[in-house]
Amino acid sequence: MLRLLRTYGLAMVLLTFVAFPLYWMTLTSLKPQTEVFRVPPTFLPATWTLEHYVNLFWLTDFGLLFWNSLKVCLLSTALSLAVGILGAYALARFNVRGKEAYGRLVLLAYMFPGALLVIPLLLLFRELGLTNSHLGLSLAYLTFSLPFVMWVMRDFFASVPVDLEEAAMIDGATRLGALWDVVLPQAVPGIIATGIFAFLFAWNEYLYALILISDESLRTLPPGMMRFVSTTDTNWGLIMAASTLATLPMALAFGLIQRYLVTGMGAGGVKG
Amino acid sequence: MANVRIDRLHKEFRGPTGTVHALQELTLDIADGEFVSLVGPSGCGKSTALRIIAGLEVPSSGRILFGPRDITKLEPRDRNIAMVFQSYALYPHMTVRQNLEYGLRKRGIGKEERARKVAAIAPMLRLETMLERKPRQLSGGQRQRVALGRALIRDPEVFLLDEPLSNLDAKLRVHMRAELAALHQKLRTTMIYVTHDQLEAMTLSDRIVVMNHGVMQQVGTPEEIYSRPANRFVAEFIGTPSMNMIEGELRIEGGRPVFQGPGIAVPLPQAPPRMPATPQATLGVRPEDIALVPPDAPGAIRAKVTVSELAGAERYHFIELGSGSVILRTPATTVLRPGETVALGLDPARLHLFAGAGEDAAALR
Repeated sequence: MLRLLRTYGLAMVLLTFVAFPLYWMTLTSLKPQTEVFRVPPTFLPATWTLEHYVNLFWLTDFGLLFWNSLKVCLLSTALSLAVGILGAYALARFNVRGKEAYGRLVLLAYMFPGALLVIPLLLLFRELGLTNSHLGLSLAYLTFSLPFVMWVMRDFFASVPVDLEEAAMIDGATRLGALWDVVLPQAVPGIIATGIFAFLFAWNEYLYALILISDESLRTLPPGMMRFVSTTDTNWGLIMAASTLATLPMALAFGLIQRYLVTGMGAGGVKG
Repeated sequence: MANVRIDRLHKEFRGPTGTVHALQELTLDIADGEFVSLVGPSGCGKSTALRIIAGLEVPSSGRILFGPRDITKLEPRDRNIAMVFQSYALYPHMTVRQNLEYGLRKRGIGKEERARKVAAIAPMLRLETMLERKPRQLSGGQRQRVALGRALIRDPEVFLLDEPLSNLDAKLRVHMRAELAALHQKLRTTMIYVTHDQLEAMTLSDRIVVMNHGVMQQVGTPEEIYSRPANRFVAEFIGTPSMNMIEGELRIEGGRPVFQGPGIAVPLPQAPPRMPATPQATLGVRPEDIALVPPDAPGAIRAKVTVSELAGAERYHFIELGSGSVILRTPATTVLRPGETVALGLDPARLHLFAGAGEDAAALR
């Protein structure tokens, strides 16, 4: 009984820690501007309003920002999965000289601070004509998501029995065919987990998006939302409404794929 | 259908600790429709040989021919083989039907034809009622039958089986062994079977290839392998309990050959055609070739029983002989008490003599 109390007590503390900012964000977005700064603060809005949401769509280009973000994130996620899965499969299955060293190098690339890469990337992308381009920004995001996808998927592939693809190849499949027909279906939890991570990373990214994109019509959400802050005024209601809407797709996605994420974290549990 | 010719097949793996010769110069002709087992302890190269025949490993040198066709460099999918894996390797996300159909689908066979073939093969393996189930909903024996079905449905030239029965429990294994034998009787497809279980090899095969350390030790019918083992390794590997081995010397005494072991002397019916250079030799005798004889019988060896084990229909008696110990196999009705002294007779026609004492000691005959 005491243990149960302790477990749930701890869970409650953690829940508060994680959930309170979300709760506060959502509530603030539903309060009128005058109530946002009221002391003492109201934990439930005295007056409920949707004015910030209406303003968001009528007075700002939130819709465009959201759409741009979605495009870049989907593109970079698709690219990192397509390239990362093939790379991880090669690392897991083929006996290439220097394979281990390469694997570690991939992890090292992942640990490289992004702020260090952004200026060289900017210079490089300017030469290649990749600045002010959603493709360019997606490619820049690969510097982070690709190593992660490769690192995690490598373990996933290593845990899929080799027999399966050998059986498929004897049954008449090419190696790529065996990967597609037999190996990938076993690695679905890993693909979903790493895909979500790649998407999430790109969705929240601020620095690259700010520096590699200067054309307002191509802006993505995180730097776009910064414009709601001006030198004289910060429209908290608007920011919170935008944040709430930006969080929504992620929250939904997590809700739907929770089951896979748990399997994903216990990489190797593919055999269920 | 095809005969298989394996021509000086060699495989070495280069690792950080040096080069391992997994398979050394294996040459073997397998007739069309023959059932051949590769048998040996783990690491003997039998699986490597099978995987090279399947195209899953590339040989360091040597060739493989199916009929007139050199397939050494072909991809697995172009060899027209089927393979049953030890783990069954059923595709977990597909139903039994989809598992069976996969090979046909990959070969571009139409839906109706596929359904017809599944309908033909399912009753043979008693899978009719479980075609829509996933592999995880099946028992071990059922999975085994799906794996067999997936290979059978393709109507391959050569059938490869890699320890297909070793994941089954003992009773099911005996049952599936019989089914496999019946299946081969019916299909008459060339089958190459890898196992570490000498009993499976003995019961199923037309011919057995015994391997050790990547080297073929002997090839022959089960009778030949059992009654005329080519060397000490084969003699000890085939048969349960394994052949008794007594190390000693081969001498000529008074013009007659005698095997002189620790504490025993066994006169031999005839000298080997060529006497080995050194007298060191090993005498082998199977547990069933030792008889209990009256104490006054000529050539009787007196020895003491240490332990007796009942193994159902028969008994194994451990008997102190000279400085070593031998196992004697008798019907269960023969009861010997530990400590009892018995007289043993060795059937001279059924003795095996090997030159030297190592496992590669060749049979003298």
